[in-house]
Amino acid sequence: MSAFLEWLESDARGAGATRVALSFAVFFIAWQLLALLVTNTMIMAPPLAVFKSLWVETQSGAMWKHALATVGVVLLSFPVAVLLGVMIGLALASSKLMTLTASPLLTAMYSVPVVALAPLFISWLGLGLASKFVIVVLVAIFPVIVSTEVALRSTDAHLIEAARSFNARPLQIFTTVTFPFAVPFIVGGVRVAWARALVGVVVAEFFGAFAGFGFAILAAGQTFDTPVLLGYVFVLGILGLIGSVLLHALERHLAPWREELGQ
Amino acid sequence: MNAPILEVRAVSKTFQRTGKPSVEALARIDLSFAPGEFVSIVGASGSGKSTLIRIIDGLLQPTSGEVCVEGKPVTSPGPDRAVVFQQDSLLPWKSVMDNVMYGLRIARVPHAQARSTAQHFIDLAGLTGFETHYPHQLSGGMRQRVNVARALAVSPKILLLDEPFAALDSQTREIMQTELLKIWDAEKKTVVLITHQIEEAVFLSDRVIVFSARPGKVKASITIDLPRPRPLAMKRTTAFTGHVDHIWKLIEDEVRSAMGLATLT
Repeated sequence: MSAFLEWLESDARGAGATRVALSFAVFFIAWQLLALLVTNTMIMAPPLAVFKSLWVETQSGAMWKHALATVGVVLLSFPVAVLLGVMIGLALASSKLMTLTASPLLTAMYSVPVVALAPLFISWLGLGLASKFVIVVLVAIFPVIVSTEVALRSTDAHLIEAARSFNARPLQIFTTVTFPFAVPFIVGGVRVAWARALVGVVVAEFFGAFAGFGFAILAAGQTFDTPVLLGYVFVLGILGLIGSVLLHALERHLAPWREELGQ
Repeated sequence: MNAPILEVRAVSKTFQRTGKPSVEALARIDLSFAPGEFVSIVGASGSGKSTLIRIIDGLLQPTSGEVCVEGKPVTSPGPDRAVVFQQDSLLPWKSVMDNVMYGLRIARVPHAQARSTAQHFIDLAGLTGFETHYPHQLSGGMRQRVNVARALAVSPKILLLDEPFAALDSQTREIMQTELLKIWDAEKKTVVLITHQIEEAVFLSDRVIVFSARPGKVKASITIDLPRPRPLAMKRTTAFTGHVDHIWKLIEDEVRSAMGLATLT
C-alpha cells in the first residue's frame, strides 16, 4: 500500500493519469451519494441522468451549436487577451514610473468583478460576439499583465550581473536573461487567465446571447431541467481542466529546473 | 617584475544609502598585478573584497581612483576580464554548451566558432560528455566548473574569481583547487582570487594580499615562494603552515572586531 502511495506521488509514467482517474472516481462517488440523499430531481440529478441528457443534447445538435458559440468566443478573445496582457506587462516592467502610477488602478481593476459590467457591455455592443469578446478579454487580461510584470521584475539579480560582466547590452540582457526567465511564470498567469475566461464567457452569455453554454445553462435552469444544467457545467469543467493541463505541461517543458526545485 | 597588466590606483568606494549613513567599503586601494600572476585577496567579511572585484570588472564605478588594464582605464566590463561568481550564475534554461558559449554569443562570435571554442574549454574543465546537460542536473562542483569554462571561453587576460568555491564541500573544494591550478598552468592567465580560506589562498597564489575591514584597506602583501607545481601534500609542509599562520595572525584581529569580540593585541 505504502509503495503504491509512493508511486502515486512520483513522476512515474501513468502516475499522473492514475491521480486524475482517482480524483474523478472520488468526485463521482460523492456526487452519486449526494443524489441518493437529495431525491428531488428538480434540484439534483445523479451522474447517470446527467450523462444521458448530455447524450441527448449531442444527438439533437444543441451541444454543437452551444459549443461553437462559447468555444468560438474564447478561442477568438483568449489569444488577444494573452498578447495584449504580455505587451502591457512588458511596458509596465520597462518603466518604474509607469508601474508606480498604474499599479493602484490595475490592482483595483483586477479585484473588480468585471463580469458585473456584462449587462452594460451587452447594451453597448449588442447580444452578439462583440460584447462577449470584450468581456472575456477584460477578465482574462489581468492575470497575464500581473504575472508578466512581476516575472520580469523578479529575475535573479545574479544572472543579470553575470550577463553584464560579459558586457551584454540592455537589449541583450532582456532577450537572453530577463525574458526567458519570465516565460514560465507568464504561462502560469495564462493558466489562471484561462479559468477566468471560461467564467467570463458563461456569465456574459447569462446576460444575453443567442447560443452558448451560458445560454443553455440559463435556459435549463429556468425550466428546472437539472440534468441538462449540470451536464453543461460538467463540460465547462472539462474545458477548464484541458486548458490547465496543457498549460501546466507547457510550463514544465519551458522550465524543468523549477520542478526540481520543488516549486 | 614585468609591466603590470592590471593596476588599481587609489580606489575608494563609498555606498550612499537613502535614509541611512553612507558606508565606506574601500579606502584608497593601490595594487599592481604582473601578467600571469596568481594573486589572492583575503580578509574578514565586510572588507570590501567583492566590491573591489566588481570595480576591477567594471560592474561598479569607484567613488575615486581608477583601475587600469594595460595602462587603459576601465569604465565598463570588457573582453579582457571575466568573472566567476560565488553564486550559481548559470542560465538554468541553457545547456552546459550554451552556457559556456554565452559570453561569445553576446560578443557576436559566429555560432560555429563559438561552439568549437566552448568545446575546448568544456574539455579543459573536465566536462566532456556533459555538453547537453542542464545546470540543475549537475553537482555544485560541476556547475562551478561550467562557470570557470564560461569565463575562460571569452579568452580574458584577467580572470576574476569571487569566492568561487565557497559553496562547495571541503573535499570538492580541494579537488577544484588543483583543477584550477591545472587550468591556470595551461592558460597562463592573470588571476585575482577572493577567498575567505587562508589555506586556499596560500596553496594557489604567488602572492596573498591581506585586507583590513571597514573600510577595506591593504594591510599586507605576502609573497608565497613555495615551488610549483604544488601537490595537495604540500599543505602539510611546515613552509606552507608557516605562511598560513602568519596570514591568520594578520587578520585575526580584523575578524574579531568584525564579530564584535575583544581584540587580543
